[in-house]
Amino acid sequence: MPSSMTEGRIARLKRAVQSARPTVCAERALIWTSYHRRVANRFKSPHIRMAEALAQVLDQKTIAIHPDELIVGNYTSKRVGGSIYPELHGVPVMLDLFRFSRRKTNPLDISARDRYRLLGIIPYWSLRFMPLKAYASPWQKVRFVTNQLRAHFYLINESGGIAHLAPDYEKLITVGTGGIVAEAGAHLSQTLADDQTRQFYEAVIVIAKALARFGDRYAALAREMAGQCEDQTRKRELEAISQICGTCLRRGAGSFRGALQAVFLAQIAINLESLDNAICPGRMDQYLWSFYQKDVEQGKLTREVARELIAAFCIKMSEIIPVFSKHLIDFHGGMFNGQVVTVGGMDREGKDATNELSYLFLEVMDALRMRQPNFHARMHEGSPDAYQRAINTVLAGGANSPALYNDEVIVETMRRQGYTVEDARDYTAVGCVEPVCQGKSFASTDAALFNTPLVLELALNRGRRFGSPVRTGTATEPVSRMRSMADVTRAFEVQLKTMLGRMITDLRAVEISNRHHHPTPLTSMLLDGCLASGWCSTAGGAAYNFSGIQCVGPVDTGDALYAIERAVFTDRRYSLAQLVDLLKRDIYDPSAEAYLRGIEKFGNDCEAADRWTRYVVDAFVDCLSAFSANTRGGPYTAGLYSVTAHEFFGRVTGALPHGRRKGQAFASGIAPLNGMDRCGPTALLNSVNRMDFTRTANGINLNLKFDPHTLRGTTGVTALGSLVKTYFRRGGMQVQVNVLDPAILKQARDNPDLYPHLLVRVSGYSAYFNDLSPDMKDEIIRRSTQQPTLG
Amino acid sequence: MKDPNQPDKDALIFNIQRFCLHDGPGIRTTLFFKGCPLHCAWCQNPESIDPKPEMAFIAERCRGCFQCADACEADAIIRSEEKRIDHSRCTACGRCAEVCPSGGLTLVGRRWTVDTLVAEVLKDRDFFVDSGGGITLSGGEPMLQGRFLEVFLPAVKEHGIHVNLETCGCYQWEQIEPLLPFLDLIYFDLKHMDPTTHRHHTGVDNGRILDNFARLTRGAGTLVPRMPIVPGINDTEANVADTARFLLHHGHDTIHGLPYHGLGADKLRWINSPLRPLNLTSMDAEACRPVGRMFAKRGINAVIYD
Ligand code: SF4
Ligand code: SF4
Repeated sequence: MPSSMTEGRIARLKRAVQSARPTVCAERALIWTSYHRRVANRFKSPHIRMAEALAQVLDQKTIAIHPDELIVGNYTSKRVGGSIYPELHGVPVMLDLFRFSRRKTNPLDISARDRYRLLGIIPYWSLRFMPLKAYASPWQKVRFVTNQLRAHFYLINESGGIAHLAPDYEKLITVGTGGIVAEAGAHLSQTLADDQTRQFYEAVIVIAKALARFGDRYAALAREMAGQCEDQTRKRELEAISQICGTCLRRGAGSFRGALQAVFLAQIAINLESLDNAICPGRMDQYLWSFYQKDVEQGKLTREVARELIAAFCIKMSEIIPVFSKHLIDFHGGMFNGQVVTVGGMDREGKDATNELSYLFLEVMDALRMRQPNFHARMHEGSPDAYQRAINTVLAGGANSPALYNDEVIVETMRRQGYTVEDARDYTAVGCVEPVCQGKSFASTDAALFNTPLVLELALNRGRRFGSPVRTGTATEPVSRMRSMADVTRAFEVQLKTMLGRMITDLRAVEISNRHHHPTPLTSMLLDGCLASGWCSTAGGAAYNFSGIQCVGPVDTGDALYAIERAVFTDRRYSLAQLVDLLKRDIYDPSAEAYLRGIEKFGNDCEAADRWTRYVVDAFVDCLSAFSANTRGGPYTAGLYSVTAHEFFGRVTGALPHGRRKGQAFASGIAPLNGMDRCGPTALLNSVNRMDFTRTANGINLNLKFDPHTLRGTTGVTALGSLVKTYFRRGGMQVQVNVLDPAILKQARDNPDLYPHLLVRVSGYSAYFNDLSPDMKDEIIRRSTQQPTLG
Repeated sequence: MKDPNQPDKDALIFNIQRFCLHDGPGIRTTLFFKGCPLHCAWCQNPESIDPKPEMAFIAERCRGCFQCADACEADAIIRSEEKRIDHSRCTACGRCAEVCPSGGLTLVGRRWTVDTLVAEVLKDRDFFVDSGGGITLSGGEPMLQGRFLEVFLPAVKEHGIHVNLETCGCYQWEQIEPLLPFLDLIYFDLKHMDPTTHRHHTGVDNGRILDNFARLTRGAGTLVPRMPIVPGINDTEANVADTARFLLHHGHDTIHGLPYHGLGADKLRWINSPLRPLNLTSMDAEACRPVGRMFAKRGINAVIYD
């Protein structure tokens, strides 16, 4: 670890951010409200309203430059804080005003004054926030909002705003807001009739200028602080900050440092525009590369200084947190804004694009290990050995980051979705895992989450939930008449179509509502296609448009179907009716539970079981792609990742045939059920490689977990490299490598139910952790906390 | 009765572990053959010693439902807290394990035919290829099932898979000789140089073992000497000196050291083993450093596992 990261400026900055308590900031909500309340503003077009409201936020929000900072800017008025978006999901969030600081997961501070002021704006927004605008009829409004709150079958995230993009920062740091104003102005002068288009261009000009002014505010503040600064070194630093902030946005960045500063200020502004989720700087090692090279050549920058600047930038990205209600945390836990930085991979021509900056970002990531940004590393056949080695070493060392992405498969997947091959090669994942083209895609990758196993419940009960007299789905065949797996899958597909259809109807209403009531001119000016077409990104102006729908619980559904096949049709242990009866009574019989749980599960290299998960994903994708385009003109695509939705959806879903009892969490993403992969990582990867990921264009998440011992030393690093390479060569899309913290072993010792099948290995010896005696458990914990030596 | 001249059609294996990283190069699948001519006091896999299938009872998992008692036709289920199996009656038929809802009972040792075993090891072939790995025959002592290996190894080699044998070296030369063309690597355990001490702790003399070591060094591809480092038993200056001298005499300059740990003792409670817990302090790479230095002083590089 470079010493500058452990002591000195970077260490101090990191400590300051990590020790700050996450706090709710009321400013954005209050300024937004005061703008919208003014009568004069009510009759302006939505484009102008959004631009002016955001401009007012940028002009009026509190700003500060903290000690030691080189890159400046504040997401909120707090050192670490989050904003409330009253016009989007803010109203339900504000219902938690009195709970923020007391709740168990992700507690947030809030001052009494802010709480009071926020209470004051609830009445204004309570009939004006987005989910209420999706439908005109009062009955539909109530139905939609109630559905969103119950969220048994699906949750539509898009009603909280769209976001999820990698802006065209390359353009921003090249031509600056000045260039964008000029471009929009030129379009405007050629636009005569169409009001919408004119308003859009006017809005872009308003917000582009406001963004430049935002930089000016920091320039002025830094100048003022420099004037009062006694410390000569800091004084010079503040003068430099002032100079950079005054120019980097308006005229193009001019330098490596200017580029970082410009990107960060734009990050803040976009996060304040609609949803503060998955606004991603993306491929920074690519668009910063020419600036870095030039500065180094001219002797203005060294590798050391660049690393310090990158670290300062990355620390700033941890100053934002999402303000969610308890309900939303169930789906999106972990205080995570999903700002992604991607390194490595191929360039638009398909050649390797790894450069010195790729390594610098990796070094910074490993040294900081902070909540944000999310680091992603792209890999392809031509990735340099040194790059792969660097990544594997960091991962085997327990950084749990970066997440790895396979260029070959992702480029092919995106090409099939209509991307040009060049644009596909220029992808970055946004949010969790969703591949989009940098600066060109408006992909709403987190549009909605869908509870797939619940559909199976309907299929096994003629369209009703277990225990409910009301029919939720379609009336399909009773189980007593199902004679084969084909009968079961037919009913499943019918229910799937019904529920997905309902979700898409709701989603379309939300899409239109976003377009009409919450256009996003700032986002649009940094997405290729919008200025040329004169259409806002919410109206389909971007070059590429998609909506990502997450298939949550595919593995549970697949394992459940395989369990039906085995228990009913192969072993003939139960009739289907008996099995369903067992499920309705929550698998009350322990020996039945043991039998059902004992049936092979996905993730153990058992073809017969694995093919059912594949079937579920195929059925989901087929069903989804049968719906026509979204209202922005792009297809609905499927994703296989679930953040924490697999826990919530699991909680509301009845017992399933694979021995999962009512309310238990589903497996996350495409991973096997917790502890159900008993044959190790190679078997798991063999199972996962049976899937065709070129069909799941919205990305997948595979977590590979290792106990703290396995990957130690060079042996471990090399083995990890082989695992990933083999998995990718055979069609793997993404993988995240987690080395379990030794603290997990301690939890497992104190609470055996948490990790029922945690496997531990000590050179050749292996056992399930739970089976060990207390002494031996302590021994394993002791071994896991040691530093690696040889081997 | 089995015809001693006919190769065995199936093998008795008690564990197949994929993704092994310390049983040879690369990513490996390790096959644990059941049955061993030695019974070392420090054995980490005591369930490997008995050459017959046996029932293990893991008390921590048992919920006390006694469905096992209903399933057992030999009346071999005991109703006590820490014991479940009456080994004098149990035929290891495995029926009780099938009904046990908690995994408290497990059958140790299952039969594998050549075909099923080949299919099993081929599952990870892609990973072997990329990592330079393969399979490792371990145990127990795989050579006790040499007849099976005579058929199995040629079948595996047809797929170009790297084979490593982990052996205690205690068998007749004629048994291993025909297998040599199929072995890419041999990990050979040297437990102790003194015949009496060896017999005391392992139950057998080391004469034949050392003899086989010498012959294999000459006749086989690559042989790597290994030594479990058991505190107070074989990590003494005298034994290290003897071992080093023996190694040098046969042209070796490296030994792999496996630090003793007490984890195997945990399994003793699960089975009906003649072994008693050693109750020694566990070793790690750090604790084995003095042994490493003793070897180094005598010109042997000791690679201590972590
Ligand atoms: S069947 Fe299993 S859980 Fe029940 S008493 Fe026997 S060993 Fe215990
Ligand atoms: S293995 Fe068979 S004989 Fe032995 S206890 Fe179990 S059921 Fe009875």
